[in-house]
Amino acid sequence: MDHQKRVYENVFEMMPSEENPTPLVRINKLNPHAEFPLYAKLEWMNPFGSVKDRAAWFLLRDLEEQGLLADGRGLVEPTSGNTGISLAGLARARGHRLLAIVPNKVPYEKKVLLKIAGADLEIVSDELCPAPGLGDGSINLAKTYAKAQSHKYVMPNQYENTHNVEAHVKTTGPEIWKQTEGRVTHLITSLGTCGTVTGTAKFLRSKNPDIKVIAVQPTEGHDVPGLRNVSQLEVSKLFNPELVDEILEVDFNLAYTRALELCQNEGLLAGPSSGLILEGALRIAARDPRGYGVMIFPDNIFKYTSNMVKHIPELQPQDSNRRTER
Amino acid sequence: MANYVHPEILVDTDWVKQNLGKSGIKLVEVDVDTKAYDAGHIPGAVGFNWQSQLQDQVRRDIISKSEFEHLMSEAGISPSDTVILYGDNNNWFASYALWLFKLYGHKDVRLMNGGRVKWLNEQDKELTPEKPKITPTQYRASEPDLSLRALLPDVLQAQKDSGVNLVDVRSNDEFTGKVIAPPGMTETAQRGGHIPGAKSVPWSTAVAPDGTFKSADELTKIYLEDKGVDPKKNTIAYCRIGERSSHTWVVLKYLLGLNNVKNYDGSWTEYGSVVGVPIEK
Repeated sequence: MDHQKRVYENVFEMMPSEENPTPLVRINKLNPHAEFPLYAKLEWMNPFGSVKDRAAWFLLRDLEEQGLLADGRGLVEPTSGNTGISLAGLARARGHRLLAIVPNKVPYEKKVLLKIAGADLEIVSDELCPAPGLGDGSINLAKTYAKAQSHKYVMPNQYENTHNVEAHVKTTGPEIWKQTEGRVTHLITSLGTCGTVTGTAKFLRSKNPDIKVIAVQPTEGHDVPGLRNVSQLEVSKLFNPELVDEILEVDFNLAYTRALELCQNEGLLAGPSSGLILEGALRIAARDPRGYGVMIFPDNIFKYTSNMVKHIPELQPQDSNRRTER
Repeated sequence: MANYVHPEILVDTDWVKQNLGKSGIKLVEVDVDTKAYDAGHIPGAVGFNWQSQLQDQVRRDIISKSEFEHLMSEAGISPSDTVILYGDNNNWFASYALWLFKLYGHKDVRLMNGGRVKWLNEQDKELTPEKPKITPTQYRASEPDLSLRALLPDVLQAQKDSGVNLVDVRSNDEFTGKVIAPPGMTETAQRGGHIPGAKSVPWSTAVAPDGTFKSADELTKIYLEDKGVDPKKNTIAYCRIGERSSHTWVVLKYLLGLNNVKNYDGSWTEYGSVVGVPIEK
């Protein structure tokens, strides 16, 4: 394959790597700190539209190599959307099926996209009431399928599978190191399964132990799809606090307003989690005198129009007959 | 399970594994979302849907005695059976079912400590999607034991009477009226807040991280010492729709052994909608 010409024999050749990185784009108008440039790594440029392509590809290939997808066995995975879209797209293209267990709060657009990508969908009503000690409903249902019907389903388990981390050790980290020519001083990312932060930080720290790793999390009670507040992190076995210098808590409403600013000022159609990460990065750039920040922007805005209208009612088109739910 | 006043109300997951398939022992999974049961359950367990099978489908009420008898008969349960209940959401709905079984006089009904999540996460425990073959019975229930159930008049009386412990097991935001119901819930009320005089003890304070009940000493400290639930008084537990309060009802009545503990199944969706009743925020 020739990444220069960008001609590929199949979609798998397009998966990101050091030779075929997702772009790094500098933030210009929104970052007033000249001594602290911020670069956004546009993960929506991956074939299935998000950072989750990386983990999904590594998880899928591992299952194939272990022979666990033979004899018609499919995959089952709890997902808030992006992992499911990547896994479904990749799995179907490889000839496998995916049953995605989706929390009800996941945006409508993502649920439809999952079906378009070829997933079978099971929607569960998670978080009936604030409940410390409870497992996550979608994770437990996926585990149930994998345990009770192991002849039909295998669960990659993005929350525990170290290949999720490995994907970023092998791709995201080396890409950033090469793209910044080793100048990166700060990595700013969000927390979900924690595969991205753990894997990328692990690689970058191996190159330069002084690189600061900042995780940005939404305030409790948030509705930013795909992200977790630290109080929700116990579901992920991949979080390694030694690799994170600080966790910044940001009002989750800023995820939406900052995303809109990115769209309207930088030409970057970034989704809410990217907005949250930008806010965190700007706080770091305002505080530390100089640096070279790289932000992982997980996906773009297209899946989140209804969330955006909910948080920013002015986005509701005036001639629309759709009623805004408040 | 040592030191609980009535340890026999609980069995642990290992006990269930050792007793799988034994005659006279019936397993029932009780879920609000029965997708979990359909995907996989403990071998031999029947599944009850809390919404469609444990509640009257026309008026707001528990199922009638004859409906309970029908449910038991169709599930192959006899009055002499030891029934083991477990379910999703930390056994809330299984606890509600336990309350219903006790209300209709079933002698030996117990809860699997930790619920379906604990079983699921233990390596040596099996799950199956196969539904059990059932031989129907002719179950006869007792008249309902209404001493276990608080209705609105009992609650209004209790609210005026300092001789009754009112225990609100909802989250702090529901207790203070910041929210009427947790986000996304369809069952709600006209007003937020709590019943005047109620003590706030969220249900989750009774459980350990693995979903099992805390020790008797810990529960005594939480309910009796820290929150001031007076064991000499009668007690009414309530939540929003009566399922979380069933969980606390098990704690208060069986694990701590308080006398005369009632579950107010009308809970906040009833009380918070009644015209003219006093509310605190």
